[in-house]
Amino acid sequence: MKKMGNVYAWILSHNVHVLAILFILAIGAPLWVTTYTISLLIEVLIFSIFAISLDLLVGYTGLPSFGHAAFFGLGAYIIAYISGDNELTLGLTKNILLTLPIVIVGTGLMALLLGILSLRSDGVYFLMITLAFAQMLFSIAMRWSAITGGSDGLIGVPRPEIDLGLWNYTFESRTAFYYFVVIIFAAILFVLHHIVNSPFGLALKGIKSNQSRMKSLGYNTLYYKIGAFVIAGVIAGVSGMLLAQFYWHASPENLYWTMSGQVLIMVILGGVGTLIGPIIGAILMRVLPNIMSTHTHNWQSYMGLILIVFVLCAPNGIMGILSKRRNKDL
Amino acid sequence: MNEMIVQSINSIVFSMLLFIMAAGLSLIFGHTNFINLAHGSFYVLGGYIGITAINQIGNYWLALLLVPILVGLLGATIEYLFLRRLYGKHRHLEQVLFTMGLALITTDIIRLNWGTYVVNIEPPILLDASITLFDAQFPLYRIAIIAAGLTIAGLLWILIQRTRLGTILRAGVSDIDLVSETGINIQVIFTGIFALGTALAALAGIIGAPLHGLYPGLQFEILVLTLAVVIVGGLGDLKGAFLGSILIGTVDTFGKALLPEISLFLIFALMAIVLLVKPSGLFSARGE
Amino acid sequence: MKHNSNTSLTYPIIRSYSRRKLLKIAGAGAVAYAGSTLATACSIGNDVSGTDSPIRIGVLLPYTGIYAALGDSIASGLEMYLDEIGNQAGGRNIQIIAEDTEMKPNIAQQKIRKLVEQDEVDIVAGIVSTGVLYGLREYFHNNKKILICANAGGNKISRDMKSPYIWRSSFSNWQPNWPLGLWAYKNVASKVFMSAPDYGAGHNMVNAFSHSFQSAGGMILGKQFTPFPSMGDPAPFITEIRKSRPPMVFCFYSGSAAVAFVKAYNEFGLTKEIPLVCSGFTVEEDVLPAQGSAAVGARSGLHWALLLDNPTNRQFTTAYKDRTNTDANVFAVQGYDTGKIISHMLNEVQGDTSNTGKMLESLHQLSFASPRGPVILDSKSQNPTQHIYVREVKEIDGQLHNAVVEDLGEFTDPGDDSLG
Repeated sequence: MKKMGNVYAWILSHNVHVLAILFILAIGAPLWVTTYTISLLIEVLIFSIFAISLDLLVGYTGLPSFGHAAFFGLGAYIIAYISGDNELTLGLTKNILLTLPIVIVGTGLMALLLGILSLRSDGVYFLMITLAFAQMLFSIAMRWSAITGGSDGLIGVPRPEIDLGLWNYTFESRTAFYYFVVIIFAAILFVLHHIVNSPFGLALKGIKSNQSRMKSLGYNTLYYKIGAFVIAGVIAGVSGMLLAQFYWHASPENLYWTMSGQVLIMVILGGVGTLIGPIIGAILMRVLPNIMSTHTHNWQSYMGLILIVFVLCAPNGIMGILSKRRNKDL
Repeated sequence: MNEMIVQSINSIVFSMLLFIMAAGLSLIFGHTNFINLAHGSFYVLGGYIGITAINQIGNYWLALLLVPILVGLLGATIEYLFLRRLYGKHRHLEQVLFTMGLALITTDIIRLNWGTYVVNIEPPILLDASITLFDAQFPLYRIAIIAAGLTIAGLLWILIQRTRLGTILRAGVSDIDLVSETGINIQVIFTGIFALGTALAALAGIIGAPLHGLYPGLQFEILVLTLAVVIVGGLGDLKGAFLGSILIGTVDTFGKALLPEISLFLIFALMAIVLLVKPSGLFSARGE
Repeated sequence: MKHNSNTSLTYPIIRSYSRRKLLKIAGAGAVAYAGSTLATACSIGNDVSGTDSPIRIGVLLPYTGIYAALGDSIASGLEMYLDEIGNQAGGRNIQIIAEDTEMKPNIAQQKIRKLVEQDEVDIVAGIVSTGVLYGLREYFHNNKKILICANAGGNKISRDMKSPYIWRSSFSNWQPNWPLGLWAYKNVASKVFMSAPDYGAGHNMVNAFSHSFQSAGGMILGKQFTPFPSMGDPAPFITEIRKSRPPMVFCFYSGSAAVAFVKAYNEFGLTKEIPLVCSGFTVEEDVLPAQGSAAVGARSGLHWALLLDNPTNRQFTTAYKDRTNTDANVFAVQGYDTGKIISHMLNEVQGDTSNTGKMLESLHQLSFASPRGPVILDSKSQNPTQHIYVREVKEIDGQLHNAVVEDLGEFTDPGDDSLG
């Protein structure tokens, strides 16, 4: 473990080298690994975005949301409805320059509405009310078959394209779509990094550590919380959009509370309050069950055991383990 | 009109089943402030262990008595070994994680022991009959469920109102550090609450199984429904759990009958409204 | 050990990050994932080139979940057929690689990619639920991979969402129910109340029955769509059924929902009063043991029955019982026939599984003898043309089984929505 701490410290101090390596790895990945691995990478990236967005709420603002799947699923349904080729859908366009803003606005409005309603509550009540709202959306998706396709969901979601009139390009192939996801992932990470280090982000951290103090300092904490909620919701919506485009399918499963639970577990396992923790959590939760379920039908118990072991031994998640070591070295 | 009355009875039956579940969760959630996402798993475990017990013992009633005790002991053991390290208001996320882990493990244990096919519990011979209601048949077993629910409500009421334990619970004690200074062994009480809660869940599982069968995914469905009851009724409040069960049971039953498209939506809408307007629960005596 | 809130350990570290450093951290994470997935990639070490290597069939079924029993039956039927032909076809050995969909489209998406891209299977078989089939349709179509669907009957796959790569060995949801509607009108009652789960298959089945029933002059008193995948306590629905005092009830349920519904139907006394005419899955052999006497007398329409009397079926049911110690069911039949279809394809190309075109060609109007009677794979709907039987649940030697009451003749899915 001490060695890991040393590696960690080395990584931190050799920024440029690491970035270069990673950049090359990410861009070159399709050349070296199988298409199957690329699909794993795509999924990990998508769920990393989803998990990081939740971490903004849970880790940075101290809002334990148990209904984050609401925005994830909504993003998927919006893109499916706007661009899907299906008897039920509008099938208007797959031009990402048009569809992405629609997804952002759609999930943003929903997040604003649910945020205003939910954020009057705190702690456990906030947990429950986010769960309730997400389940409401789930039940709408399941039963309003005329719009949502009911429990079968909406199929025929196309891959995105960039259409500038004279020139267009569709991210049709697996590899092309992979790069699309990588670009969005990098962009979101960049944006979030700025947000958490901005005065807004610092205010959020302040709210997490001592809300009443922030209030007494004159901050309108409700506005800040709503802001975080909307940002998190929009980013989750974008990740949901990506998943629907990847699978060519939007499913109500994406709204079910166990999806909210899964992403929450990703955040906690990886370590709250960091941007990288959720990524690690996403890797664990997506890749591990996949590998395990091939070798045993009992993979659920092993996942359960992992969760339990984590809670008992590493409550700060993996990032907690790594940073604890680093603290010790200092 | 006759059917309205029959549906009302249907809803009371379902409410009583919900109540037995919700009482357990309300006790745990309300008094130890512990989020137990494995509550549904205890329900399902009760059902499956019940099947085995009935087959092995050969006597339904004996199994009905023993299985909840067994599951309660299991709950107590889990609490003693693991859960007591996780108490505390700021540790809800860890509780969520842990109990989800438990739920996952339970899923596999059930699949390994009892397979993936549909399994059923038959109602006991004594109750496997019907009464006539408005020229139509109504299963006696469901009437018995109402009786069971009321009995348990009564027993719990005695426990809360007439015993020392009940006094402690009614005082709204949930802070370990504060209370241990008064000399009461709060650890034992918490273990006891958890044991009682899980025993009730298992009992509800055995009782409910003949109604809907035992199938994968049941543990999560029943959990969410029970959460709705506890939220609507109020945490830690027996009267709240009872009235909340009646409300949710009625909305669910009549929703399914009259407005099947939105019945599921209604329950969560109700839950959301209560959380917004009166988070402590519609029927609890406590204020904000 | 008293536990502190999470903030104290991580904040100091975050505050000390500069922009570049944080990007590096993100990078470290990326290394982690690249590393883990590269490890995954490296762990695949199978060279499947050459005709000495086995043909790999990917089997995608729900091994857990409410339809798990159906998955098991299909797998048993398929394996039984393959054993019969010595696990060989087209001059090569056959290897099965199975994955669990858990009846969830998102999980199925992961598993299909694993089967096709990591395990490099040649053909895929399976899929129980319509939802999963619809969810995966684009994958098979875009990746040009052959699927022999062993159950899911979603009408769209034979109609507007048809793909040259997806063929069924099972049925379309329309198929067992449309003929039943006509039969029910002539033989049971002219009015009906209908109940089914609220998803694609449920609606397909209700629409098919309604179409022929109404065309013949029948009247539909009401339709009830119950929550899917589970309706919870059936009592409210049963009471609603009784309210409209129908002379007949049509329903479709499968798996655990079928058990709950039929038992409740009996408990509330409807079995004695109101004839139940249902889609065969509701009272199929897999759920009859759990339903018990509640199912006796129920009539249903399906493309097979356990007691169907033809040489292929007699042989099949005996062999299945010997092998698995349980009675066969329609899902096992479909699995069995899937094996037959796949082996035919493989023989046609003499094991050259890269010749997708020829394999698909061999399916058009392929006819064979199935336990369900003569079957022809219809070119237009890419679905079997087969006989539909009316069955009745009877007690025989102390056990409950479906006996054939009438053979309604041969039916083909129309390939469009003209008949519901």
